[in-house]
Amino acid sequence: MQRRRFLQSSALASTLLLVPKFLHALDRPEARLATLLRDAPAEKARRLIVVQLSGGNDGLNTIIPYRNDLYYKARPTLALKEAAGILPLSDDLGLHPKMTGLKALYDQGQLAVLNAVGYPNPDRSHFRSMDIWQTGSGSDQLLTTGWLGRYLDSSCAGCDLPYQALEVDDTLSLALKGQLRKGLAVKTPGKFHQLTQSRYLSQLSQETAPAAAISELDYLYKTLAETAASADYLYQKSKVHTSAATYPNTDLGRNLKTTGELITSGVESRVYYLALTGFDTHVRQHEQQGRLLGELSDGLAALAADLQKSGEWANTLVMVFSEFGRRVTQNASNGTDHGTANNVFLLSGALRKPGLLNAPASLADLDQGDLRYQVDFRSLYASILSDWLGADDKLVLGPGIERLAGLV
Amino acid sequence: MNSQLLQHLYWRAGFGPRPEDIAAGLRPAKALRQLLRDAAPYTPIESPAFHYADPLGAVMAVQPTAPVPAATAMAADLPLLSPRSAALPPGRLAAPVLRRRDLTPEQRKQQNEGIRDAFAAMSTAWMERMATDPGQLREKMALFWHGHFACRTRRPDDSLQLLNTIRQHALGTFPDLLLAVSRKPAMLQFLNNQQNKKEHPNENFAREVMELFTLGRGNYSEVDVQEAARAFTGWSYDGQNNFVFRERQHDAGPKTFLGHTGNLGGEDVLAIIMQQPAAATFLVTKLYRFFVNDVPNPAHIEPLAAAFRRSHYDIADLAERLFSAPWFYDAANVGVRIKSPVELIAGLRRTLGVQVDNALPLLGYQKALGQTLFMPPNVAGWPGGRSWIDSSSLLLRLQLPAILFKNAAFAVRLKDDENDITPQTTSKERTVRNTVGAHLPLAALQHLGGTRAAEQPQQLASRLLQVPIRPENLALVQQAAAKAATPEEQLRATLIGLLSLPEYQLS
Repeated sequence: MQRRRFLQSSALASTLLLVPKFLHALDRPEARLATLLRDAPAEKARRLIVVQLSGGNDGLNTIIPYRNDLYYKARPTLALKEAAGILPLSDDLGLHPKMTGLKALYDQGQLAVLNAVGYPNPDRSHFRSMDIWQTGSGSDQLLTTGWLGRYLDSSCAGCDLPYQALEVDDTLSLALKGQLRKGLAVKTPGKFHQLTQSRYLSQLSQETAPAAAISELDYLYKTLAETAASADYLYQKSKVHTSAATYPNTDLGRNLKTTGELITSGVESRVYYLALTGFDTHVRQHEQQGRLLGELSDGLAALAADLQKSGEWANTLVMVFSEFGRRVTQNASNGTDHGTANNVFLLSGALRKPGLLNAPASLADLDQGDLRYQVDFRSLYASILSDWLGADDKLVLGPGIERLAGLV
Repeated sequence: MNSQLLQHLYWRAGFGPRPEDIAAGLRPAKALRQLLRDAAPYTPIESPAFHYADPLGAVMAVQPTAPVPAATAMAADLPLLSPRSAALPPGRLAAPVLRRRDLTPEQRKQQNEGIRDAFAAMSTAWMERMATDPGQLREKMALFWHGHFACRTRRPDDSLQLLNTIRQHALGTFPDLLLAVSRKPAMLQFLNNQQNKKEHPNENFAREVMELFTLGRGNYSEVDVQEAARAFTGWSYDGQNNFVFRERQHDAGPKTFLGHTGNLGGEDVLAIIMQQPAAATFLVTKLYRFFVNDVPNPAHIEPLAAAFRRSHYDIADLAERLFSAPWFYDAANVGVRIKSPVELIAGLRRTLGVQVDNALPLLGYQKALGQTLFMPPNVAGWPGGRSWIDSSSLLLRLQLPAILFKNAAFAVRLKDDENDITPQTTSKERTVRNTVGAHLPLAALQHLGGTRAAEQPQQLASRLLQVPIRPENLALVQQAAAKAATPEEQLRATLIGLLSLPEYQLS
């Protein structure tokens, strides 16, 4: 019902030459869906931003065990020394020197670090490990839907909105593909809108059948109608607010800015998905990783400041992950090879537990040269789904995944 | 009516009808016989461009001092690349091993690009076959098996060998196909049978053979997996891509597998699997979902499965039964499959006789739509059906004809994380732009739409679409055509209009 109202209220639908018959039959809604959601209880407006670090970020040079001899022994030229400007988080751990933005958030209690996150029998292929993280599967399990896609499938509050989950990119990741519902790939509202504005496309029949037992053709038309209407809605809505905040002039910075603008404009999407790529640092890691971590930290700090100003930071949770960490021992090219467990960042204006949440993985007790995981990433997902988004985590992830009590 | 049924056959048993196939207007039964005849010859796909010769191999190769344990192999980040084409010096246990970590960044990049280019050349060559080869049924069936025996490697030569094996046996008997695939280095490596040794069995291959390739879940126990894994110990390959049975790694003890006890080997296990009635049902169901309808109909499947068993799993015989069954031509089975990106693009080329100057960028669009040959998402293959469609893939599908035939501006940036081959690429390198140079042979296509200009849109709609066009969309196409100045431009506008419809996504 909500979807139909939404379709009907969109400017595109009303300017169509061929307004579908069944839409005529519906009452014009008194209020727009936006109003409905804005008036909804506060906890319903919580949203999640996922930032994926593609390529396998070296967690050991991100959250640095700067008092641990084993770290310096394993990485004679790659280890970062305290004097290089490590930003201490505790007596044992410090942030990479480039991450001053995150350090400030840490000091304000808006950053939490979960160490040694991974899964049993880790896979060291980028592709497969990312598949595991995106689908929320075990390494011995094959899933064809993403964890956030199944969240959309789970009849969560607002999940019938076609723009409930957005990926800020040209194409859609598996993470946001469910069996019944999928997220939208929106690089910017302007570009997305433009893609649907080909005159021919915008005039195509928009008639869609009722949701039950739809044919493949109906499914295509339904996707088209929802895409066009969403593009229109997001475009109109995004004009409400242009961020005055300064974001870094990088791809991630621009994508975070788009995210911040959509949020501040009152778009009701509950999930945003972004990626920063280039972490596969087999060679000359220092320069590359330093640049990327700086980009990440500056971008997230800008987002936090922007959303703080608009009063949305406390409703927002950011999760930063990578498909795996890297090996403890550096390689011969001043880089690192594919490893296993890694740290995950959580950021929000309303963290229940800020700071370092658990001890880092032991460097003395390795599994064939790799870090042992302590926290299954699916437990993290379960907590976020259940305790932050108010969704049914069992429905999304299956039984037997323990939540991390009191995390978010 | 006959034409619609004929088109249905050509779309499902191949990559769509050429204009001359429609003009010939054979009865479907006759066309099927022709398709079977044309698919009988097999020639391997081959080109020097596929053979990734590592220019650094000879220089960089280092001799392993001791057998490399699996854990260390992992440490070197990805499967070790040994130059398998080099002959082994006598007395050597293993081929010299080129470790990726020994490469300089430039050498590593060069190597990655060499591998990527070889895969791209292989994909392009196979797409070319799909679009133009008379052996349509062989290529279509091979595409099915390519997804069924899903396998990713970093070695173009291994993947090519597996593809040609699949193409060769695509219409033979399934036990032959299964055995041949099971013995290929690509599969042995992908499913870790190289690590499956007497002392430390690795169950991956044994499990997937039953779960994904032959029986499906619920038709075997965990004990059967363990026993089968023991039977496959010692299945390995040498430096020249030949299967070898390493007797010393094989567990020769007695095993009990699916009720059979004895000193079973891998061949025995595969043969026992093929005795299970579940195998025929599992395979025919999967074939039915690919060739007929995503929703399996047991009333159609059971008799086919029984015949498949009786024929000793003769795939060509099964195909003939399937494509000649009356229910195959039921309206409920026509125009109800969402074309995969490969079917869409190969079909577009074939059905319109499109000439392309440069097929390489088509692979970029294919990837943006979610299907890269040789790179299935995982061992379960491409899920297909509605999973092909999301907002961005649908928009690209609908604009692809305008991109290719009208040079519509549309740049799509691919993701960085979709393969393990060239992981570090710049945004510019990942952005696909239209440099295909695709040509619609308008003169040759004139007669496809009939002689009367006014009827052309309707006539072409029934030739190009497998579902009836919505009247309001037909009006839209007619409007667009009416604005064109010349008959040729009219035809072009009509074609692009029809190809840009959601209806065209179905076969």
